Amino acid sequence: MTTDNSFEPKIIGFLCNWCSYAGADKAGGAQLIYPPNVHVIRVMCSGRVDPQFILSALVKGADGVIILACHPGDCHYKEGNCRALQRHTLLNLMLEQLGVEKERCRLDYVSAGEGDKFSRVIHEMVDTVRALGPLELEDVGAYNIRPDVITN
Amino acid sequence: MKIGIYFCNCGSNIADKINAETVAEAAKSFPDIPYVRIVDFICSEDGKLQFEESLKAEQPDRVVVAACSPRDHEATFQCCLSNAGMNPYLMQMVNIREQIAWVTEDPALATEKAISAIRGAVGRVRQQEPLEKKQLEVCPDALVIGAGPAGMKAALSLAEAGRKVTLVERTPFIGGLPVRFEELFPALECAPCMLEPLMGELLHGDHAGTIELLTMAELEQVTGFYGNFNVKIRQKPRHVSLHDCIGCGECAAVCPARTTNTFNCHASDRAAVDFAFTGALPNAPFLMEDICIRSKGEECRACKDVCPMGEHVIDLDEVDTVVERTVGAIILATGAGLYDASLIAGLGMGTLPDVYDALQFERMLSSTGPTGGEIVTAAGTPPASVAIIHCVGSLDDGHKPYCSGICCQYAFKFNHLISAKLPDAAITHYHRELVMPGKEAHTLFQHAVHNKNSTLKRYDGIADLGVRAGDNGGLRVSAKDVELSAEMVILCPAVTPAEGGDRLAALLDVSRDSFGFFRELHGRMDAAQSSIKGVYLAGACQEPMDIRTAMLEGMASVGYALAGLQPGRTLEIEPITAEVDETHCAGCRLCISVCPYRAILFDTEQNRSSVNAVLCHGCGTCVTACPAGAITGHHFSNAQIMAEMEGVLK
Repeated sequence: MTTDNSFEPKIIGFLCNWCSYAGADKAGGAQLIYPPNVHVIRVMCSGRVDPQFILSALVKGADGVIILACHPGDCHYKEGNCRALQRHTLLNLMLEQLGVEKERCRLDYVSAGEGDKFSRVIHEMVDTVRALGPLELEDVGAYNIRPDVITN
Repeated sequence: MKIGIYFCNCGSNIADKINAETVAEAAKSFPDIPYVRIVDFICSEDGKLQFEESLKAEQPDRVVVAACSPRDHEATFQCCLSNAGMNPYLMQMVNIREQIAWVTEDPALATEKAISAIRGAVGRVRQQEPLEKKQLEVCPDALVIGAGPAGMKAALSLAEAGRKVTLVERTPFIGGLPVRFEELFPALECAPCMLEPLMGELLHGDHAGTIELLTMAELEQVTGFYGNFNVKIRQKPRHVSLHDCIGCGECAAVCPARTTNTFNCHASDRAAVDFAFTGALPNAPFLMEDICIRSKGEECRACKDVCPMGEHVIDLDEVDTVVERTVGAIILATGAGLYDASLIAGLGMGTLPDVYDALQFERMLSSTGPTGGEIVTAAGTPPASVAIIHCVGSLDDGHKPYCSGICCQYAFKFNHLISAKLPDAAITHYHRELVMPGKEAHTLFQHAVHNKNSTLKRYDGIADLGVRAGDNGGLRVSAKDVELSAEMVILCPAVTPAEGGDRLAALLDVSRDSFGFFRELHGRMDAAQSSIKGVYLAGACQEPMDIRTAMLEGMASVGYALAGLQPGRTLEIEPITAEVDETHCAGCRLCISVCPYRAILFDTEQNRSSVNAVLCHGCGTCVTACPAGAITGHHFSNAQIMAEMEGVLK
């Protein structure tokens, strides 16, 4: 993997509305500076994050994806974060088979009060993906992204 | 399509880091963007007015507002869209303050990130659709299950608010556990005296006409959902007309069949037709079919013949009835029981005489109980020494790991009452922890501490304790190596959910915790709501609690029912829900297995799932789980999320 010092990764962050998105707002309220590489997409629940969103993000130019959920036991929808964990575990197995480092797809837990943790996790994720370098996918077709399935 | 972009500077909050002109210039190159308006404070009264006027003048098809967090002002700006005659769901906010301006050091990078985010929002909003809140007719009436303190308080309060209530009670009487007690902690108040006004109101008060009390009844079937549950209740025959009986007890006096009285913990006997205990309300006996000698084929109508109110009062051939009602809300107030102390080896429960659990002892203390309130051993003499063992099965990983919360308080009540009745009796408390929260509980504790006949001994684990028969009569209680005599032992077992919770949980689909208590929707925020919308929890069916808390929980559950269901007002259903495209559904039911709210119904004939929008909370887990892509998450559809992602990645 090439390491280019000028490389700034693009990362998609899926944040659940109730805990992690509020945690990101908390970091904002506290004006905690973190790198601008993570583009946040708000979903109501981490259980809404379709593994195909992640594959699609990687195919369409993201170098990494981070999913932030409520802490286990604290999910606003009771157990959506458990679904996210299950899906993430399976997806990481697949990513590894496809030659994508599993560090490019991280799942973590940030509560509404954890602005500092949010900031730390973003720092870590950006550093990690920056060290991994740009994601180079040889055969996009292998991902079997089916836009026709993801259109509803 | 015409998409209007509104950019808020938020004074200098956003303007310091993000250059509005640069953003506007970039945004104009996106397709379908005829204008970008830059506003200083769009959430201010002036700003909102300016926003609404602009929407009316420009008439965009979609709107992007780049400002603060949608958690702050999404609802504010949705309201502006409505005021301007637009559907509020045709707007997308971009959080350029909390998540860009305030957290990005370099203004050039912040501006660049804001442009990307707005590009994502423009892509997303293009996919957004107008959504409408649906209205649903609802029934404001309620079903309350359990007529203990929590259930009675709930039923009466609902009736006072003008709601019809069906109050279902499994036993033949109301009042729950405490109506069987003589005096209560913390102030030694007479329990029947305390409860009687409430019970009187319930049975004969101004609002009794709107309370339908069904004793000896249990819920049998539930269909429907919040706002419109259809319930079937099966009522066992009492054989005695509540309407006509005057409670004289003549029938019990002549009844030839006898059995032990379960309501006195089998410590006394009763006739086949008899009261549960003196003073039980409603004031009418009930006939136990399996005890009545007619069940053995003998002819008998002694009770019928002796009744001074006429032979129609007692109906020996009465059968089960099934009552059907429609209710909007259901309150579960099924109460608690005690852990079976005989499951703990070595304490003598069920094997040694004069070892009682707390409920048996409460009945012994009661003037309506088997001994008329006398504290006596099986031999009929007052005990010279009593051991009270706390934490029996509580705080114990082998039994119940939780603290039952109320036992210390009633144990010290026992101390007080034993001392009052038997001033010379020696009382030893064996406890693991002492729990007496609040401003009132300390008085009984202090009394025990200052009682010269009382001793408090701490033990580490229940395995350290043993109760055995003494060599010369009485009992011997050992704590590790120290053994003392006691003529009576009272066990304070863990508080457990009442029996039958599993059946109710299955009927209503409500969740239970690992101890069998009904699980709250949220332990702090929504502790009186169950996991199922419209099914509320009150009292000790959700965790061990005292009467005060149970009464408060009863009121809390009523609060939900009154706030949510109002006569003449429809139920507003939020449009951010999931919807199944039935033509694409393959009937795999994966969605049903992941829905945390049991909001997905399955039509076995059509082999299709469908989402009940009343129950759906809009989390979208089913949308992701559906392998056929047959479920749409309104306002968070795949197309919308994908479009946003593509926009920011461009």
